[in-house]
Amino acid sequence: MFGWIERKIIAKAQYRHGPTYVGKYGILQNFADLVKLFSKASLDLDNADSILYGTALPILISITIFTVLLLPIFPSLQATNIGFGLLLVFVVIAFMPIMIFLSGFASGNKFADISAQRSILMLLSYEIPLMLVIAAIGLISKGYNLQNIIAMQSNAYYIVLMPIGFFIFFIAMLAEIERPPFDLMEADSELIAGWITDMSPAYYALVLFLDYSKVFMSSLLISILFLGGWLGPAPIPGVVWLIIKAIIIAVIAVIIRATTFRMRIDRILRMGWLILIPLSLINLIITYILFVG
Amino acid sequence: MKIKREELLQKVSEMKTAGYSYLVKITAVDYVDHVTALYFLRDIDKRKDEILEVELMPADLWVPTIMKDYTSADWYEREMSEMFDISIKGRKASRLLLEKWDGLSGPLRKSFAWGEDYKSM
Amino acid sequence: MSITRINIGPIHPSTHGVMRLVADIDGDTIERIEPHIGFLHRGVEKLTETRMYMQNPPYMEKLDYLAPMSYDEAYVAAVEQAMGIEVKERAMYIRVILLELQRIASHLFFIGTIGNDLGQMFTLFMWAYMDRDKVLDLLQEATGSRMFYVNMRLGGLISDLPPDFEERALNTLDYIEKRVREYELFIEKNPVFKERMKNIGILTPEKAIDLGVTGPVLRASGVQYDVRKNLPYYVYDKLHFETKILTRGDNFSRYKVRLLEMRESIRLIKTAFKTMPTGDAIGMPVKLRSPPTKNKISIVSREAPKGEVMMYLVADDQKPYRLSIRSPNFINLTAITHLAKGLRMADLFATLGTLDLVMGCVDR
Repeated sequence: MFGWIERKIIAKAQYRHGPTYVGKYGILQNFADLVKLFSKASLDLDNADSILYGTALPILISITIFTVLLLPIFPSLQATNIGFGLLLVFVVIAFMPIMIFLSGFASGNKFADISAQRSILMLLSYEIPLMLVIAAIGLISKGYNLQNIIAMQSNAYYIVLMPIGFFIFFIAMLAEIERPPFDLMEADSELIAGWITDMSPAYYALVLFLDYSKVFMSSLLISILFLGGWLGPAPIPGVVWLIIKAIIIAVIAVIIRATTFRMRIDRILRMGWLILIPLSLINLIITYILFVG
Repeated sequence: MKIKREELLQKVSEMKTAGYSYLVKITAVDYVDHVTALYFLRDIDKRKDEILEVELMPADLWVPTIMKDYTSADWYEREMSEMFDISIKGRKASRLLLEKWDGLSGPLRKSFAWGEDYKSM
Repeated sequence: MSITRINIGPIHPSTHGVMRLVADIDGDTIERIEPHIGFLHRGVEKLTETRMYMQNPPYMEKLDYLAPMSYDEAYVAAVEQAMGIEVKERAMYIRVILLELQRIASHLFFIGTIGNDLGQMFTLFMWAYMDRDKVLDLLQEATGSRMFYVNMRLGGLISDLPPDFEERALNTLDYIEKRVREYELFIEKNPVFKERMKNIGILTPEKAIDLGVTGPVLRASGVQYDVRKNLPYYVYDKLHFETKILTRGDNFSRYKVRLLEMRESIRLIKTAFKTMPTGDAIGMPVKLRSPPTKNKISIVSREAPKGEVMMYLVADDQKPYRLSIRSPNFINLTAITHLAKGLRMADLFATLGTLDLVMGCVDR
């Protein structure tokens, strides 16, 4: 579903129509793609470490789905509501680049190798600011319980309380889920497809699925942490509010994707260490002074 | 300007110092009884062209490399040596530029044997 | 770190055709690069020796499929020179107009592909492609075909321009001019683009001349060299236009010089329309057996969108005895070995993109 929205928006930006054929307004196009990909022959790679290569991607997908389960969609709709929910989410998310690294490294392709190295470099640049922003959120809401975080936003959303934090979090999240301009790992004009260069069609279908579920996951997370989750004026149910917010975030990410150029890896590192980390420290200090001190 | 093969290197460096800084192209023409190697030199500021023609006998096809004076001669010389079977002396052998690995012998020579497929065309 | 050798191509999204680059990389930095070409080598030069003079233009057009007419025209001009045929004056103007339209189309394509090389998701490409289509529509109106025109005849053209062509062309050119401004804003306001393009892949003027590059690549390095100005042909010396020179020689100036050139071409076409004489522009029919021209040698230099095209024709009775084509892409490609040293992996493709290569022309 999100894949369809993304395709349509990008098509609009490029004066195209986008998918029109499968289903009403081409809404089933992505499913058709999946069916096609699953029906193709799979490859046996000579150079690949088959166990590692075969398991890294499924683990990656389960991580993403697991993260979605940890998020509260509605007060009564959450798999587990534990005190350190937010921390757990980020512990799990931090595994994703490592899994990408393993998958790329195990595939035995040189392009995938370079891409794997890049994923670790990326990890170095955005994980720290991400964590610092989360620390600030924890300071305001006096804990890392996700339900509690949403409840604390009933007066003012965190995007109002710490706009810098939202800005940093959004950028770091874009990098985390490999959206342009940070899509260095599958940089198609440089590395062919990076860590998915040698993927079999069925695996590639999983990557497509992973791509969309990552966007879904991260936009849910952003709307929960900064836009007040299910909170909203009464007549519309909270779930709908949450989805509307998530879609707005996702659409912004898509528009960014359609218009920017790709950044270079050393520039991303520089941006991460020289801009994002100082900014997020400032954000942490301001939050401490305003809400705790 | 017609010159002898022995004079080529000296002439080229003379031209280079005289302002012909730009090498446009190196190619050759096979006139059956002899093969002419052509060096197109150009003076950008004075807008002058000069063509050095070196006549070579089919039995003795070689020219010295002029890469010392013009870096751009590199690929042109390789192309010429592939297309006309002219060996370039003074540079190390390199892989074929345009043709297949096994290489045909001088496809642009008039004596080149066309394959059966092409005869009907 | 140890050095890895990777094969980029022959099938790769950014090699702009079938080319293979063997790169030695150290981490993310290029140590050495060697282009392998010849995948599209089809012996056009030999092929022309087996055809009658006017059977060859279609082959010439397949050299550079983004600017076919420039090559077609250069060949026909070489034949005309060998036979001593005068081109009619109106035909000269029409040729200049069409060639400049071709240049605009080619540069628009460049603007599109540079976006792709920098990892932009086809948006710029689609925009530029759409505008290029408008130019191609004009060319179709004038010649009857969108891609491969074959509209040059000895002494003139296959047909005169259609009656309302001038008005339509001016409308389209106004539109293109507006769009070029939009591209300029879209691209140059983008900090990532500037960061990725400025001061990367610098080619000094001395090195550029030594490497033998021509066209926009040479002019971006600050060398005043444009065949249209230096060795004017047709009516270029009567028309008003400037050769745009940028001095930095980096990727950004190679992009910018093409953008500026498009503006100049638009201006040039507009003045050409104003001064174009009426009269006859139709050339000789193809069926005409060409006059005997044994062992006449003709040399023709033309400024194609990618650089200087030179045709060296040794004429025989009815067929070319030898046709040697100087392909601008062939020699512009050699610059990459020099430029790539020390570049980042990502910048390699941006640099390759700014050379604006067409492999059909490199391999011939």
